[in-house]
Amino acid sequence: MKELLGKNRLMVFTLLAYALVFALAPPLFWDALENTWMYVREMLEILPAVFVLTGLITVWVPPRVIIDNFGGSSGLRGKLISVLIGSVSAGPIYAAFPFTHSLLHKGASLANVVIMISAWAVVKLPMLIVESRFLGIHFTAVRFLFTVPAILAIGAMVGARTSREGVMAVGPVDESPVDTHGYLREVLTGVNCGACGYASCSEFARALHRGDADIDECNLADEETKEKVRHMLRIG
Amino acid sequence: MTAVILIAGAVILLLVSWRFDRERTKESLRLAKAQFLGIAVQIGAILALVGLVLAIIPEGYIRSLLGGPSVALSTLFGAAIGTVTILPAFVAFPLAASLIERGAHVVSVAAFITTLTMVGFATLPIEIRYFGKRFALLRNGASFLAALLIALGMVTLL
Repeated sequence: MKELLGKNRLMVFTLLAYALVFALAPPLFWDALENTWMYVREMLEILPAVFVLTGLITVWVPPRVIIDNFGGSSGLRGKLISVLIGSVSAGPIYAAFPFTHSLLHKGASLANVVIMISAWAVVKLPMLIVESRFLGIHFTAVRFLFTVPAILAIGAMVGARTSREGVMAVGPVDESPVDTHGYLREVLTGVNCGACGYASCSEFARALHRGDADIDECNLADEETKEKVRHMLRIG
Repeated sequence: MTAVILIAGAVILLLVSWRFDRERTKESLRLAKAQFLGIAVQIGAILALVGLVLAIIPEGYIRSLLGGPSVALSTLFGAAIGTVTILPAFVAFPLAASLIERGAHVVSVAAFITTLTMVGFATLPIEIRYFGKRFALLRNGASFLAALLIALGMVTLL
């Protein structure tokens, strides 16, 4: 119950705020609804498609591919691919979080995740056309010229000041407070698909550690991951 | 337009995936649905809240902040306003153009657009949920500073 309220706290607050405005200033209430409808329409256009793509990447793309292209040792090429992926994407910045989050858990480096999020936000190619139409090609070109290096710098900075483990420990991957078997949980896909019969990858990781479950029960782990888990269980 | 391309891309890949492996495709759809339902309420609440705030603050007020007597101060305001609002791009650019037309400083508008898209105070709860506090605060803080630097750099070239 408490958890349910916690998750919806913001929604409850928002509804109360709307009720208040409706009571005090009805015209503002309708303006606000109109604004919100515009946002929600954008969200409904973008978000389902982004989640479908994220889901497809999760089940199809092996971690190796992500690690090679976006991992810590992918170098300048990885950074440029990250900028490119961000720039051809569509939609508001919050759509970038679930997408990049799944790449992170497949092995993308933190710096590249930040670069992708930032590029997703500011260097979108179709947006540049709109920008230059309204603000002039000169304004757009100069802003673009400054923005791309800035994004690379932000990526490097955030990447250097956060730890992979720290960032991976949060998120919808695992919402349970107990984090005893971080490693196992980390190598699992972290999508909490539930196919193994456990509620989350973390639960499954605990069961693995106890010896109650077998990694073959996981539908999403590829051979490499399974080998890692078996190895861990042998030495751990 | 981008949305159309994105949706078409997702549908095509889904069909290709379906041709190769139905089970995996179903799996991916199940993941997509779970993720969407997991975050939809929170995003909806944030969008509704921003819609409300923007309805309450008149556009004229924003314009006067961005076109104040001090360019530096206006630029700071621009960056700050961009930070706390979210606007779809197709609304942001016409708005920016109208702000400049009516007397806002170009540099302030540049800072506004950059933070508007790259820094998200409103979407911070979502970012924290996916990546944690430290990551989200660092990224947004760095982006805010970068937006000011970009605006500063633009002064020299515009």
